[in-house]
Amino acid sequence: MERLKRDFSTISLAMIPIAIAINIAVGQIVKALRLPLYLDSIGTVFVGAVAGPWVGALTGLLSNIIWAIIFGDVTNTVPYAPVAAAIGFLAGVFSKYGWFKVWWKAVLGGAITGVVASLLSAPITFYLFGGVVGTGMDIITAAFRSQGMSMLAANFLQGLATDPLDKAISFLIVYLILRALPDRYIDRFSRAEDVR
Amino acid sequence: MSGTYGLYVVRQTGIHRLHPLTKLVYVLVCLLIGWLIPGVWSPYIVLLIGVVPVALIARVLPEVIKNTIKTAIPFAISLIIVQGLFWTGGTIVRQLGPFSLKAEGLLFAIRGTGRIILAVSGFLLLNYTTRSDELMLALSQKGLPNSISYVVLSTLQVIPRFQRKANTILDAQRSRGLETEGSYLIRMRALMPLVVPLLLGSIVDIEERAIALEVRAFSREGAKTSLLVLHDTRFQRAIRWLLMLGAMAVIGWRFYLWLAPRLA
Repeated sequence: MERLKRDFSTISLAMIPIAIAINIAVGQIVKALRLPLYLDSIGTVFVGAVAGPWVGALTGLLSNIIWAIIFGDVTNTVPYAPVAAAIGFLAGVFSKYGWFKVWWKAVLGGAITGVVASLLSAPITFYLFGGVVGTGMDIITAAFRSQGMSMLAANFLQGLATDPLDKAISFLIVYLILRALPDRYIDRFSRAEDVR
Repeated sequence: MSGTYGLYVVRQTGIHRLHPLTKLVYVLVCLLIGWLIPGVWSPYIVLLIGVVPVALIARVLPEVIKNTIKTAIPFAISLIIVQGLFWTGGTIVRQLGPFSLKAEGLLFAIRGTGRIILAVSGFLLLNYTTRSDELMLALSQKGLPNSISYVVLSTLQVIPRFQRKANTILDAQRSRGLETEGSYLIRMRALMPLVVPLLLGSIVDIEERAIALEVRAFSREGAKTSLLVLHDTRFQRAIRWLLMLGAMAVIGWRFYLWLAPRLA
């Protein structure tokens, strides 16, 4: 309880809006570069790393809801809010064990997070949207489906084709940012000792 | 997008003046009914009876239609391809080269598209007619922590600034000769010089924001006074209760439909 109170300090609450804005702005840059990635959870991962799993989870949850309010699209945002929360939570857990101190551990943590994310998104895509996400990614689902695979399995594999790589790069970028930031700034956060 | 208020469209209509919770509950109940009642056309019926007339009265129907179509069309195309063409078994309606269109898959796609149209249009209706600050205040009065409202509202304020910042960095790095077009590798290499300045610059700002909040007694316990005043009426409160009771009846009925064949 004491720990949680420290995690949800004023600085954490001031950080969440910035983190969500980072998610959206970096997502935009990636789109401008026409890269086959999302990188729309870098802010969430950063919060999880420096403020712990619960603040990370809250950031992910709110990020997807706000994304819907800004762009007026509820389909690919609000239903996946639990997945975004899990990403922030896992970033916090990996950070607790010092995985953001070594670059390859950060990459590995990201990849594991990506696998969990695709496991969690598949049933949401399947039960809510009949197995499609309304983007070019659906070609992958169709390809697996045409091989006689069940819809749920095809959705999971479609996630696996993108999520682990995407989250591994996101975690690596957060690792690099943590190395580039002066200690003076990192020390302000409640879990500074885990990432320094 | 008008910054602070999200997608809010300023109009002087009765719908805009309703209490935010009345609109929130109404839209959620419409969604629930459209999704839960069995049948291919039920989402479309709820859309025509529940969403379209309200959007018409609120004078936001053209906006709702335009943006719903933008989201729904890619979904519809995907659903028809993934479910219509790759439905296992089923009755073949038409042969298309090596693929065949199945009736069951098509019906599934029609229902799925209806559900998406209903969800998107209902959400847009709520957002076009409700200021986010009023909605957050209403939710705070029902027990949502104040800090959550702060986070949501200040994010809505910060985002336009960040989008400008991202564009400035993109222009600045391009003018220094950074290649942002070309092969996959070239574009990948441009990623870090664009992302890192944005991240470092904004993380450094966090502390300043926290101090600004503390100076304004952000973490002080106790009741807070809001400059906004929400108008609620006994009639609207009654309507909200009725809507919620109706929703529970539909959930109960749907649960019975699901349970009955399993008990028999």
